[in-house]
Amino acid sequence: MNSFNSLLEGFASAFSVSNLLFGLLGTFLGTLVGVLPGIGPALAIALLLPITYTVSPSSALIMFAAIYYGAMYGGSTTSILLNTPGESGSVITALEGNKMARNGRAGAALATAAIGSFVAGTIATFILAFTAPTIADWAIKVGAAEYVALMLVAFSTVSSLLGSSQIRGFISLAVGLVLGLVGADLQSGLSRLTFGNDAALEGIETVTVIVSIFALGEALYIASRFKETGWKIIPMKGRALMSRDDWKRSWKPWIRGTAIGFPLGIIPAGGSEVPTFLSYGVEKSLSKNKAEFGKGAIEGVAGPEAANNANAAGALVPLLALGLPTSATAAVILVAFQTYQIQPGPLLFSTNPALIWTLIASLFIGNTLLLILNLPLVRFWVQLLKIPRTYLFAGIVSFAMLGAYALNTSTFDLSVAIAIGIVGFLFRRYGMPITPLILGLILGPNLELQFRRALQISAGDYGTLIASPLSKALYLTLFLVIVAPNVIKLVKKLKAKSNK
Amino acid sequence: MKFKPGAKSELTFVGSLFALGVLVFWDTWRTELPEINLTISPKLFPYIVSFMLMLLSSILFIQILRGDLATPEGLEPGDKIEKSDLRTFILVLASLFAYLLLIERGGFVIANSVTFVGISYSFGNKKLLKASGIAVLLSTIIYFSFTKFLHVALPAGIFKGLM
Repeated sequence: MNSFNSLLEGFASAFSVSNLLFGLLGTFLGTLVGVLPGIGPALAIALLLPITYTVSPSSALIMFAAIYYGAMYGGSTTSILLNTPGESGSVITALEGNKMARNGRAGAALATAAIGSFVAGTIATFILAFTAPTIADWAIKVGAAEYVALMLVAFSTVSSLLGSSQIRGFISLAVGLVLGLVGADLQSGLSRLTFGNDAALEGIETVTVIVSIFALGEALYIASRFKETGWKIIPMKGRALMSRDDWKRSWKPWIRGTAIGFPLGIIPAGGSEVPTFLSYGVEKSLSKNKAEFGKGAIEGVAGPEAANNANAAGALVPLLALGLPTSATAAVILVAFQTYQIQPGPLLFSTNPALIWTLIASLFIGNTLLLILNLPLVRFWVQLLKIPRTYLFAGIVSFAMLGAYALNTSTFDLSVAIAIGIVGFLFRRYGMPITPLILGLILGPNLELQFRRALQISAGDYGTLIASPLSKALYLTLFLVIVAPNVIKLVKKLKAKSNK
Repeated sequence: MKFKPGAKSELTFVGSLFALGVLVFWDTWRTELPEINLTISPKLFPYIVSFMLMLLSSILFIQILRGDLATPEGLEPGDKIEKSDLRTFILVLASLFAYLLLIERGGFVIANSVTFVGISYSFGNKKLLKASGIAVLLSTIIYFSFTKFLHVALPAGIFKGLM
């Protein structure tokens, strides 16, 4: 069966009344949580996880797809009107979008962000529908040894590229790996790092870690360090519409943003920071209105917003086809799948094609619903920004605690949540990136499993790890990712010295 | 030796990461292996992780000693690093512990309301009566929508039989 037919069947099952309602609910909740300042898509999805515990897998996944796109959509509204980007991907949007809002062009900025997200999301989901199965077909042949190499590359790129300091990224990863070790070892039953606590034998819940490191860590950090800083909402005049000139200036950046964002989502480049920055740079150098950049150029909103959305869809390719999350948000979605005992990866396309095609179809539907519902409703979302900060954080924190507790109705999870919250505070205070920790926690146990499997097959011969050409190529990449930034640094240092 | 402001606390933080590495090493070393034949010992991976953590935190420790301090989130490199407000930090933490202690003894509505008001107060809200009203209302709505519509059981606590 080819992708196109499967996709049509996916649409057929996604278009049932109840699934559409779940999609609608997802877009609503996603936008709602995404609009709230300080909540990025990763936290938004993690916070909404408890709501889906009781619905059927396909409905839940449809809801997640909608929440995913909805949260990103809501996030751009906040960056434009409040200048407080909820996640790294919207930093650039805030840059130009907020300036546009100050010039009284909030409506046009919101519209180009929304329509750009829609265009990018639709194109990218289309490419996703046709590339993911191909990659999955190929990935079925990928052995355990190559998986080990693949995960090591994902680890090192995410740790190296995020944040300003490579070593802090790797330390964050190591802490995540430690958290992933806690519990009984699956093969031998050996209890590791449990210190005699029975509840710890089950391991540390990923959802608990994600919710607490983002929500509780942020609350502790903001409360104790940025108490006085308030927000200033820029009032929105008129409606969210674009003039003919705005359209003319926007459509090319949308396409270029998609072209930059999607491929960078597939490779583990560590989330949407790099593609949005790249897109901004490209638009700035191509634009005829260079002087406007920094003062509210619409291209500077259209391009990065499209790149951000295409990047998010791109990140779903390795997630669905390989079971390999490459960003914090993709990691949360992986956990959402696992809650339903579904393991994303190459086998999923053959074992559960109906589910995966329904999911892909609902990405299209969610994206369209967002555009239809949200542009007219933008005033309603803006009202949400007026919730006072004290109540907002109180709500986020208590909901995070509820999420941590409701997972297993266990107070052990709550103690873990508080401890991880403190870790989140320390990481923010000492400039450590958080995404590597989450990847380490989720992929660490998987890495160990594949590593052991590879060596069992080879009867303990370590040579198997680098036997295939793919592994060799991956280890070469790994070497470059770790060494290249240091070489560049060294060369710059030497140059600076010789110039003196 | 003179330190830049903030260096001492960061050194303590990185030192505790090193200690975490030592802890992982010690825990792995002291546990006894079950008597089964495995190609790869379940101890290998923890050992690697503990060495990685100890090595990396030592390198970072030296970097900090040489003046390469972290930039706290939300600040630009070179910004003055202010001390965290310890009192507020403890207030937030206490609100979190209140939830942990109250959820099964007092029930969801009480735990959630206390935490809500506590956090709101930590963020500078002085109108405690209004905050309490909102907290109780919100908690009750959440309680009923979770137990009745989503079928996620939450502890009723002291209101058992009433709710």
